[in-house]
Amino acid sequence: MEIHTQKEANATVVAITGRLDAVTAPEYEKAVNELIAGGEIAFVIDFGSLDYISSAGLRGLLVTAKQLKGKGGQVRCANVKGTVKEVFDISGFGTIFQMDDTVAAALANIS
Amino acid sequence: MIQIKHLSKKFGELVVLKDISIEIITGEVIAIIGPSGTGKSTFLRCLNLLDRPSGGSITIDGINILDAKADVPKVRQKMNMVFQSFNLFSHLSVLENLTLGPIKLRGMSAKDAELKALDLLKLVGLAEKADSYPDELSGGQKQRVAIARCLAMDPEIILFDEPTSALDPTMVSEVLSVIRRLAKDGMTMAIVTHEMDFARDVANRVLYMDEGLIYEEGTPQQLFDNPQKEKTRTFINRIRSFNCQISSPDYDLYAMNAEIETFCEKQILPKKTRQNLLLLVEELLQIYNPLLSTTLLDLTIAYSEKKESLELVLESTGEAVNPLDKNLQPDELGLNIINNLTESIKYQRVNDKNRVTVLMKKTL
Repeated sequence: MEIHTQKEANATVVAITGRLDAVTAPEYEKAVNELIAGGEIAFVIDFGSLDYISSAGLRGLLVTAKQLKGKGGQVRCANVKGTVKEVFDISGFGTIFQMDDTVAAALANIS
Repeated sequence: MIQIKHLSKKFGELVVLKDISIEIITGEVIAIIGPSGTGKSTFLRCLNLLDRPSGGSITIDGINILDAKADVPKVRQKMNMVFQSFNLFSHLSVLENLTLGPIKLRGMSAKDAELKALDLLKLVGLAEKADSYPDELSGGQKQRVAIARCLAMDPEIILFDEPTSALDPTMVSEVLSVIRRLAKDGMTMAIVTHEMDFARDVANRVLYMDEGLIYEEGTPQQLFDNPQKEKTRTFINRIRSFNCQISSPDYDLYAMNAEIETFCEKQILPKKTRQNLLLLVEELLQIYNPLLSTTLLDLTIAYSEKKESLELVLESTGEAVNPLDKNLQPDELGLNIINNLTESIKYQRVNDKNRVTVLMKKTL
């Protein structure tokens, strides 16, 4: 897994590449937690290059989303497709998280 | 008709047949199936003494043919054999192949032998090939001649040793239909074959041989639809499996994924099936993870080529509890994914172990 972060005007875009699973979820949590600790409270997670997600990855997303909620922040998911979308749908994450088709749309929807 | 008791055969140190006991009744058609190298052909060759058994007895109509005084050529006349590679005499015409035995061994007149041979060639659909030589025939025709030659000796039983294994697929059916016809006419036969559909509809009884034994036997329905023993099931359902043991929560998920991928590639499973399998395995292992510091987990992934199904069996040590019990999970994320990917999940306590059997849904 690789994580690229990009600071935009109203949010930080976190693009995850590869696999978000039991092995990599802790890295993801650590990276996002560091950003939150640095004061970021608005996030767009870009799943466009993510090939695989398991429940461990979903838990990682939940943990960071809860943290943000406590700080009055928000997170939107962009580019969720293919097998990743299937896992989102099975788990009901498609309704828990706010979903956008593109990063641009997600940024526009950050309030 | 034939009683075989404690038959064994060794080649030097190598034990091919351990202990075979079976009775063959007149009119029975027995199919002998099983993996290569389990002694099926050796068993047939022992029956008509092409290979001398190392122990046991074979009694035909009350006479033990392993007795030193037994008349071996006479035994072979009663039990004729059809070979995988035909074994016709290439320097003799088809007709001469059929008349040689009856004239030389049974003292038949040349005329009678020829009439009988022509009748038999008609029976196998090759009357017009009487004057041809074996080299002028196709594989299927050669094997039909071999069967006719066998019949020319009026055997009481015919032993078929993989009669279609050396044939082009297009020629298999002509040979099988001749054997079917013989079955219908009440010929007693023992057939070693890899043609499962054929074994199923021509045999009265099927023997599954493995480990030098008759490992399981039954009617075709019993053996093909409801095999009782593990190895029979594996063979009948053409099951290939992958197995690994996990004994620590710090197992290497990626190394295991790579092994599972290799296994899937060997079975030529579609990409989607592979992806779902890897996800299912990760989710299952996540659930077992807290237990792994104290228990040993045995994971088997079994693919049945016949049913095109994937089954996962997880056996873990420890107290009797279903590790997939909903109440034991911190959340339902993992179980939701598992339920979505599976057709059925079964829990059993077997040999002091917790066994969970998971049947994966077929991917469309």
